[in-house]
Amino acid sequence: MTEASTLLEMRSITKSFPGVKALADVNLVVREGEIHAICGENGAGKSTLMKVLSGVHPHGSYTGGIVYRGEQMRFHGIRASEQAGIVIIHQELALVPGMSIAENIFLGNEPRRRGGIDWKASRRRASELMDQVGLREDPDTLIKDIGVGKQQLVEIAKAFAKDVKLLILDEPTAALNEDDSQHLLDLLRGFRERGITSIIISHKLNEIEAIADSITILRDGRTIETLDVKADGVNEDRIVRGMVGRELSSRFPDHTPDIGEVFFEVRDWTVQHPSSAERLVCKGSTFHVRRGEIVGFAGLMGAGRTELAMSLFGRSYGTYLSGRIFKDGEEIQLKSVADAIRHGLAYVSEDRKSIGLNLLDAIKTSMVAAKLSKITRRGVIDPVREYRIAEEYRTSLRIKTPSVDEGVVKLSGGNQQKVVLAKWMFTDPDLLILDEPTRGIDVGAKYEIYGIIQRLVSQGKGVIVISSELPELIGLCDRIYTAFEGTITGEVTRRDADPEVLMKQMTAMKKSPTS
Amino acid sequence: MSRIKDLQKNLFGGTASNARQSGMIFTLVAIVLLFQIWTGGLTLTSGNLIAVVSQYSYILILAIGMLMVIVAGHIDLSVGSVAAFTGIVVAKAMETYSLPWPLGIALGLIVGASIGAWQGFWVAYVGVPAFIVTLAGMMLFRGGNQYIGNADTVPVPRDFREIGAGFLPDVGPDTGYNNPTLLLGLVACAGMVWREWKARQTRREMQADVAPVWITGIRLAVMLGAIVFATLRFAGGRIGTSLPISGIILILLVLAYSYYTRNTIGGRHIYAVGGNARAAELSGVKLRRVNFVVMMNMSVLAALAGMIFVARSAASGPQDGLSWELDAIAAVFIGGAAVSGGLGTVSGSIVGGLVMALLNNGLQLEGVGSDMVQIIKGLVLLFAVAFDVYNKRQGHFSIIGSLMRPFRREEPPGPAGPASDPDKTLVAG
Amino acid sequence: MRRIITRGIASVGAVALLTLGTACSNEREGSTGTGDSQAKGFAKDSLVGVALPSKTSENWVLAGDLFTNGLQEAGFKADVQYAGASTTVADQQSQISAMITKGAKVIVVGATDASQLVTQVAQAKQAGVTVIAYDRLITNTRDVDYYIAFDNFKVGQLQGQALVEGMKAKKPKGPWTIELFSGSPDDNNSKVFFDGAMSVLKPLMDKGDIVVGSSQTDIKQTAIQGWKAENAQQRMDSLLTSTYAGAKKLDGVLSPNDTLARAILTSVKGAGKPIPIVTGQDSEAESVKSIMAGQQYSTINKDTRKLVAETINMIKSLQKGDKPQINDTKSYNNGSKVVPAYLLPPIIVTKKNAAEAYANDPKLAPLTK
Repeated sequence: MTEASTLLEMRSITKSFPGVKALADVNLVVREGEIHAICGENGAGKSTLMKVLSGVHPHGSYTGGIVYRGEQMRFHGIRASEQAGIVIIHQELALVPGMSIAENIFLGNEPRRRGGIDWKASRRRASELMDQVGLREDPDTLIKDIGVGKQQLVEIAKAFAKDVKLLILDEPTAALNEDDSQHLLDLLRGFRERGITSIIISHKLNEIEAIADSITILRDGRTIETLDVKADGVNEDRIVRGMVGRELSSRFPDHTPDIGEVFFEVRDWTVQHPSSAERLVCKGSTFHVRRGEIVGFAGLMGAGRTELAMSLFGRSYGTYLSGRIFKDGEEIQLKSVADAIRHGLAYVSEDRKSIGLNLLDAIKTSMVAAKLSKITRRGVIDPVREYRIAEEYRTSLRIKTPSVDEGVVKLSGGNQQKVVLAKWMFTDPDLLILDEPTRGIDVGAKYEIYGIIQRLVSQGKGVIVISSELPELIGLCDRIYTAFEGTITGEVTRRDADPEVLMKQMTAMKKSPTS
Repeated sequence: MSRIKDLQKNLFGGTASNARQSGMIFTLVAIVLLFQIWTGGLTLTSGNLIAVVSQYSYILILAIGMLMVIVAGHIDLSVGSVAAFTGIVVAKAMETYSLPWPLGIALGLIVGASIGAWQGFWVAYVGVPAFIVTLAGMMLFRGGNQYIGNADTVPVPRDFREIGAGFLPDVGPDTGYNNPTLLLGLVACAGMVWREWKARQTRREMQADVAPVWITGIRLAVMLGAIVFATLRFAGGRIGTSLPISGIILILLVLAYSYYTRNTIGGRHIYAVGGNARAAELSGVKLRRVNFVVMMNMSVLAALAGMIFVARSAASGPQDGLSWELDAIAAVFIGGAAVSGGLGTVSGSIVGGLVMALLNNGLQLEGVGSDMVQIIKGLVLLFAVAFDVYNKRQGHFSIIGSLMRPFRREEPPGPAGPASDPDKTLVAG
Repeated sequence: MRRIITRGIASVGAVALLTLGTACSNEREGSTGTGDSQAKGFAKDSLVGVALPSKTSENWVLAGDLFTNGLQEAGFKADVQYAGASTTVADQQSQISAMITKGAKVIVVGATDASQLVTQVAQAKQAGVTVIAYDRLITNTRDVDYYIAFDNFKVGQLQGQALVEGMKAKKPKGPWTIELFSGSPDDNNSKVFFDGAMSVLKPLMDKGDIVVGSSQTDIKQTAIQGWKAENAQQRMDSLLTSTYAGAKKLDGVLSPNDTLARAILTSVKGAGKPIPIVTGQDSEAESVKSIMAGQQYSTINKDTRKLVAETINMIKSLQKGDKPQINDTKSYNNGSKVVPAYLLPPIIVTKKNAAEAYANDPKLAPLTK
């Protein structure tokens, strides 16, 4: 397989948007039957390159050539590229929630019989395709009733229905938990055996290291290098060096914890699911945070970590049943978000685009949004103070933008996350709850965000980090709680933390006393 | 090159300016000039300008409220019916109980506020979509109008008519112009100069680059020219006419609401709720209260508009307020607001409303029938929004596009997430 | 590049100055608002504005065409405008304002809502424009100069008489059972028609010769909002259910116009009742057919051609500076003053005289053969 022929060659692709050169002279060579990873920081041009390949950016809107199976290709739309067997699966899944698996698989490509849809054939072929991707569900199940991991598989089945030769996956595991990710990677290996070529874009370098045959690294819209995994002996650090253009000696900044007294405590926190009365999303959770401490929450999907955080934050999720919150020894009532902010809580949501930011806002507007009263006099906003504060955060958090008047929508993921952090730092919180603070952002920005978190705790604040990436929790946190299906199943200090121990508690393999 | 950019950036409303809004200012000027030539100079006569202001002030007042409703992500279809209902209640009360006119106005505003509280309750606290609540309100209050008025026309007393048909009085020495209007013009000029000076001050305090003096000069000259011209027009109408009272009410409301939406916490919360309700809620914005206030405010303004119309017509009739909601909504969208909420300005909506008003007026002066006027207005609405959508999608160079994106060229090539992704930029409208 | 910009600004400035210059004359010294221009007359090719309601009935459409042609033949410039279908009052208000701005000397108004034009009529007066209320009297203002219409009280009387005659012909001796319908409450004429008819019917009702089956005799009960057929049909349906469900027989229905008359007949037929005597007005083609078929009993011929012609005559007199012809100076009080009026006589049409009445009407004459 190593000396297989070239399936795809993209030659000196250059693509400009008004004012921005997104791709400059990019080359990509993919051999038949391999798994080819594309790595790069956000904004490096990975997605744009794939859009050029799949015809989303039609022929003529870029310069350079695409040779696929020995032929010069000129795609004018996604249909044309799909006919050639190139199928792209985007990060945001393109499925209709209210339709069944079978309907989604054949959407736009329905088996016909005498002018109508052939439901029998559709169901039968759907079952076959689902077997191929290892999805065990009834083809009539609605998409909205299955988890993200399975939805991902439906997307792949859909690609198979189109007779795929080259499968492109954009961040396929970003929203998946460890199990589902593992399953997906196994699946890709299976495809390789069957001769299907894949291109995978991912931020999860451990996965890439584990699965890819070759890696092309992009930076600032240029090809930096293409590595052969086996021949070049590639490891994560090697990839990181290519992506950021320097060696990151450590994935986490140096930090000496200075931990003080317990100042925030939650006892027997019990919350009911918003729509189903029998389901409890938090079952008597009890935990505490010390000043200057970074506390991690580990857990799989459905562990109830986000639900716990949001219900604490002014009862923003579910129905409160029982439980008490103490801050600095006194019991406090947080019945609304305004209460929570007043008592020094801040919650940075895992989903910054849909609930963390108003994407229509300017950077400066977003930064002050959670505590406007700080820049107003008698209800009137002082634009000068707003601007100055925003400028301060821009400098101190190193947000890459020409001006704080720009819309947040123009920023990359990492910079958006910094804006959200600024927004909550501006409220002068004592306790910051960060839900997946580094999801979907690149290595360099992650490093900076870890630094910001460490700076916050060294000012005596407490920080809770909810993350699905165990290495991140282990590297960053002073203490880690594990949760499983709404129950806190264990507590591990930094010294004892290792992935195996955590994983056991996260899956509730070992009954451990709740603190 | 940099001077052009400076000009684009500073002449027409600075950085946050909205493509469609500045585009519409050009359109407005173009429409005025076109009709000025076409009608042989009738458009800009004092008499006509005065007539236009008193004819459309109530629609523009509605547009202010509608802008806030639409920015918050709702819609209000009931404004015409609410206006008609308030009109008949006030007229009937003044006729039956010989209520003095100031009490009549107070009563009208109370009626508006109560209706607004009713609709706001359903929208904000029960969570029924505003489209449904106000569709219901549209029928409810239209029926209420006919029930109370017996589908009859009820005249209103002479003093009350002033708010719709009155003018600034002629007082002071004979200058050949209406003196109070002249005075108002002078105040407006002073205000404009002060505002410009203040804006430069603010820019300087922000340590942002201050526009070159020559640009401020041109900007000021253009604006002062416009104000002086308008003042002389309105002050130079036939004896007994001048700036209409309804026009003054409108100007005060525009100033107040522009200030409110742009510079206060309350105003910013409306944009936050419309831009992303969940994010706003998680930032401590009281979602329900914002929705309630926005809907209630709309009905109060509708009540005011209804009273102004009744005053102008000297009577409240069963056909008052018919399809006003459509005019107000059209004005807001032509003025650059987004259907999905979160975007739009009061001044933009006023410009949008004026485009419609002057189009209407010019076509009528030309003797174009109301059927054709409707068709043309419909097309203008469609093209105004379509042009903007197209413009945003293409990202091509265009005058308006370049006005909107003065920073495009300076953008760093690196973190260009959304820039490399123009399909995802929000289609506003 | 910079030069282009500077040039652009310069040219924009020039255009602005030009418009300023051409338009910046003060209008103060214009008219002082005494408004007796009709005494002096005006130029022969002056503008005459005609503001009509929305195009909901054939009569208004016909009137508009007749005005356009007639005024042009007489040498005037004509500006004939209809109000939009959904924004009637506001449209008419701004159309009248536009006519004033354009310098019309006479404005003929067929009002959509007769009491909501006070401000515009006052503006017209100040600008020295003569206002003629056409067909519908403009109320609550001193500023309307003339009123021209068919004699609507007479219309009502004729309707009442026709109703009685028709019923007598079918059933020589009373008492007869009838129902009353009247027009839209926002139309000033509705009451006039009704009063005219009642001047004939009331004495008979008092004697007991005529009985209103439902006892609904107040104009508020009989009014049909917006002159709408569906509203009339609804009212008739409910009357038939409430009052005539049993053996009670309906002899006649007073209907103020043809549209309503046909709606009433539809309702009666739908209920399977014998057809009563139904009156009408306007000589609509459908109703003329109905009369010839022996269903609707009568209509009124108000020849729009004549009315428009008389209006144009009036405008011609005003142009010459003469006093226009008036034949009623006391009946039409609009709430603020008695408006001098010129009234044309209406003609009642039944199957008997239809051929004769419509002999000159190219559209209706064939229907009577």
